[in-house]
Amino acid sequence: MRTAAWLQRRTLLGLVAAGLVARSAVAATAEEEAARFIARLGEQALAILRRRDLDRAGKLAALEALVEQATDLELLARLVLGRYWRRATPAQQARFVALFRQLLRRGLARRLDDYSGQSFEVVGAEPVGRGDVLVHTRVLSPDASQPVVVSWRVRRRDGRLVIIDVIAEGVSLLITQRSEVAEVIGREGIEGLLRTLERRLREPEPAMTSPRPT
Amino acid sequence: MRSKRNSWAPWVLGAALLLAGAPPAAAEPDADPLEPLNRAVFAVNRVVDGVLLDPAVDLYNFVIPAYGQRRVSDFFGNLRAPVVFVNDLLQGERERAGIALGRFLVNTTLGLFGLFDIASELGLPPHEEDFGQTLAVWGVEEGPYLMLPLLGPSNPRDLVGLLVDGLVFDPAAYLAPTRLRIGRTAAEGMVRRVELDPFLDDLRTHSLDYYAALRSAYRQRRAAAVRNGRAPISEDIYDLPLEDPAEAEP
Repeated sequence: MRTAAWLQRRTLLGLVAAGLVARSAVAATAEEEAARFIARLGEQALAILRRRDLDRAGKLAALEALVEQATDLELLARLVLGRYWRRATPAQQARFVALFRQLLRRGLARRLDDYSGQSFEVVGAEPVGRGDVLVHTRVLSPDASQPVVVSWRVRRRDGRLVIIDVIAEGVSLLITQRSEVAEVIGREGIEGLLRTLERRLREPEPAMTSPRPT
Repeated sequence: MRSKRNSWAPWVLGAALLLAGAPPAAAEPDADPLEPLNRAVFAVNRVVDGVLLDPAVDLYNFVIPAYGQRRVSDFFGNLRAPVVFVNDLLQGERERAGIALGRFLVNTTLGLFGLFDIASELGLPPHEEDFGQTLAVWGVEEGPYLMLPLLGPSNPRDLVGLLVDGLVFDPAAYLAPTRLRIGRTAAEGMVRRVELDPFLDDLRTHSLDYYAALRSAYRQRRAAAVRNGRAPISEDIYDLPLEDPAEAEP
């Protein structure tokens, strides 16, 4: 009886130890994997931006495909809506996801037009809550003396890695978008938010070149 | 001139402290008890921005090449070093205080009065510190969000910080004539605006509600600055408590 209990405890300890070792091994690879994921994405994005054989529409399509593959739009839409997701009807949820996708596309088009030779490097990765990994990068602009620190929060979802947040110099895109969404919903309700997004999308497409002299 | 300055400073300080004491602290990240007033000030600021500041930023960018802009921003950055140093000390950040002091000594001499940030190349990178952050480290709450005329996003704590930095900690408050200091403050504000311009532009074009986006970004920036990049940000936003067992995906 006593031996059995002792054995049991020993086995338990052994199991815990083995579990810890396995866990740290998994954690290390998860960080490396996330860092590689971001590094590769960045390289692919820069390669697209620098391609001479593609026009603006071609580059935009290639970037869209890249973003689609590196994110889970429905997951993002849910995170952005936060507690309002449940208050929305399934139809409203579906509309929000669709609008969110279109806005992302439009944002991408603007970023494409704004691109002015920035490059980036991965400087580290750390495990954070909920099994996510935060990958830190530095973005260097040709005309800025100090690099901008941008961190990418990566989560494993349905067997693939997806970006769930971008944090630039301490400002999280997700937190900012949640604040905006909460503001609009607080004023006009979920239906009002959807109408605001639709109105925003009806505005003319951004100009191809920035009017700002640089 | 000097007495004129002293006549308004206590008023602003007093008002700021009053505000700081009044409504409860912003526990809710999007709390904004003065929103109607703030939005009105924001609307005026945007007009001033469009009429005055945006053209000025464009002109500055057009006239002064990137190299010159870096010299200007290095120069003003170096002038701020004493304030950074004092606040590092007040926060008990000895190592960072040493870096700030080292930067000031190196850049003022080798860097030709701060025009060249030599210290960065010697492994002493710049960092920002102000009395608003020091107050935060001391446990003072930020108070209600404030949109200040011309100056933009703030709160009572950071407003007090701004005044203490400029009127007490900055050696220029004792050394330079008021007129020169006003000119410097204006120029500094302009340079800061130019540096922030790409970010503000980005926020404006990509945001659904520019006011709310700016408020959120300002708070996050300040919180990150107070933490000096150490503790993690709030985690619960990454939760998905949204999946009912009933609607869980297969």
